[in-house]
Amino acid sequence: MYHSGMGTLGASGSKLRGGLAAALVLLLAGCGGAPHRGPPLAIGVESQYADVLRQIGGPYIRVRAVLSNPNTDPHAFEASPAVAREVSGAALVVMNGLGYDAWIRRIMAAAPVAHRQVIDVRRLLDLPADTVNPHLWYDPRTMPAVAVAAAHAFSALDPAHAVYFETQAQRFDASLHAWRAALRAFRAHHGGTPVAVSEPVANALLEAAGCRIVTPLALQLAVMNGTDPSPQDVAVQRALLRQHQVQVLVYNQQVTDPLTASFLQLAHAAHIPVVGVYETLPQGYHYQGWMLAELQALRAAVTQGVSTRRLGPPAGAP
Amino acid sequence: MSILLSAIEFLHNEPVRVALIVGGGAALVCAVVGVATVMQRQSFAGHALADVSSAGGSAAYLLGLNPLLGFLGLAAAAAGVLEWSEIREARERDLLTGVVLGAGLGLAALLLYFAATVRNASGAALTVLFGSMFTIPATIVPLALAVTVVALTVSALVHRPLLVSAVSVDLARAQGIRVRAVSLAHALALALAVALAAMTVGAILSTALLIGPAAAALRVARRPAAAVALAAAIGLGATWGGIILAYESFYWTPGRGWPVSFFIVALVFAAYLTAGVLATHGPRRAAAHPSGCEAH
Repeated sequence: MYHSGMGTLGASGSKLRGGLAAALVLLLAGCGGAPHRGPPLAIGVESQYADVLRQIGGPYIRVRAVLSNPNTDPHAFEASPAVAREVSGAALVVMNGLGYDAWIRRIMAAAPVAHRQVIDVRRLLDLPADTVNPHLWYDPRTMPAVAVAAAHAFSALDPAHAVYFETQAQRFDASLHAWRAALRAFRAHHGGTPVAVSEPVANALLEAAGCRIVTPLALQLAVMNGTDPSPQDVAVQRALLRQHQVQVLVYNQQVTDPLTASFLQLAHAAHIPVVGVYETLPQGYHYQGWMLAELQALRAAVTQGVSTRRLGPPAGAP
Repeated sequence: MSILLSAIEFLHNEPVRVALIVGGGAALVCAVVGVATVMQRQSFAGHALADVSSAGGSAAYLLGLNPLLGFLGLAAAAAGVLEWSEIREARERDLLTGVVLGAGLGLAALLLYFAATVRNASGAALTVLFGSMFTIPATIVPLALAVTVVALTVSALVHRPLLVSAVSVDLARAQGIRVRAVSLAHALALALAVALAAMTVGAILSTALLIGPAAAALRVARRPAAAVALAAAIGLGATWGGIILAYESFYWTPGRGWPVSFFIVALVFAAYLTAGVLATHGPRRAAAHPSGCEAH
């Protein structure tokens, strides 16, 4: 993977300023640990975690996301000094783990703060460190656990609103009901549906929906990591598409590479519907609505043969 | 029987077939152009063109164009710059070449940064610099074959006049050879060879395919024509052998093939070492070492 010396921009979209000034700010922020006025700051490294933090924290917690530009590949992200400055002031950091956002640990180590809490979602879910698919948020079990952990963390930061945070966590869990019901319904009606994928982005959702992912895992990982795929695996995938052995091709909408493009062409030629899935929260969506929309796109592909390359504006509030 | 079966499976594999065709064309063109390039002591210029072409490959990624066109465009532009400068003095020429090379790689760094952050082409750098033969789309084959044919034709046309100019420019002029036109045509052929090689093993490694087989062949062959034939055999052997080994490596480390570029370059290097051993200890030690052709 290509790494440039330049930092990428964070959530704010603010331009990278002079390195010297930024380093100075980082130095000041790191030394001072200056007390903030207003609610404590929580950081969700990926925008989907930040979205859940916002729903739990309400008006009592300030929440920022680091990765939220849907056009950037989170795997290739490099942190900027602006991100480092924000992290140094955060009371809670929620990170995905599994190497997906390993750089956040370096930033936290560079700006140590005594009372900062860290939720590593991989550890929270008690998953082994060698889990190959880092896209944990597509698993229906992930966010309810994050919501509960965030409520506990917020209660420690602001005990006066502990009841509020607990209630919000319960509400959040209840708001996932529509998605879970849709997953059960899909599994009941279309369980075992053969699906091809370009990358393992939405695999957890596909598995929860009872789909059978038939693309070789090594090929998915090669595309995800940008390494050489083996010709055997490429040939398997091409045959799956050309011979219409899958009912849908699910691909990473946020990443473009020639191999994925060739799979999309083959799917088009074989009249196989495609579904573009997102690696970070799409514009205008909350987590619940996003997951439901991805599942509905999958259902539209399987039942009506309709492709969804990008999600439209969300239907309503989550 | 099982070998026959796996051979059929191998040739039935579409990424393998595309790699065999594109890589085979690249090996042939590189053999022909490479011998002339090595004899003219232009190896460094060849490497510079390859490095500059990486910017074209990156631009193609960024704009979603045919990567071969990208490699070709910038390799030709760099060849034009080096030719246009008309510097014959070796030291000056090396300096200019080095500066152009640096500028090209710098541009590639910028374009790859944009490709990774804006276009999200996460594997672009690895593919452009080190090649990824099994991801070459089949739609590239007609263009690759056309480039191969054009490059071979141009090389065949300028082969003899180029040899004469390599010995002595004055001699060439006396024979009525348009030295400048021949030199330009060779630069074009070099750009085409570099672009094909960059498509095969990546921009950074393309020098290995351009120079390696030619250098190995020139160590043992007596005449330029024999050197071209031998270089073609070595280039094809290394490229196709590399593809076979990369295919087989899928079964060594279960489910994970090794990169094909590694095998090709390793085989080229092995051929170069073997040629060295043959040249010093072999029965037919070449009477005239190729460097004897040089007029400098």
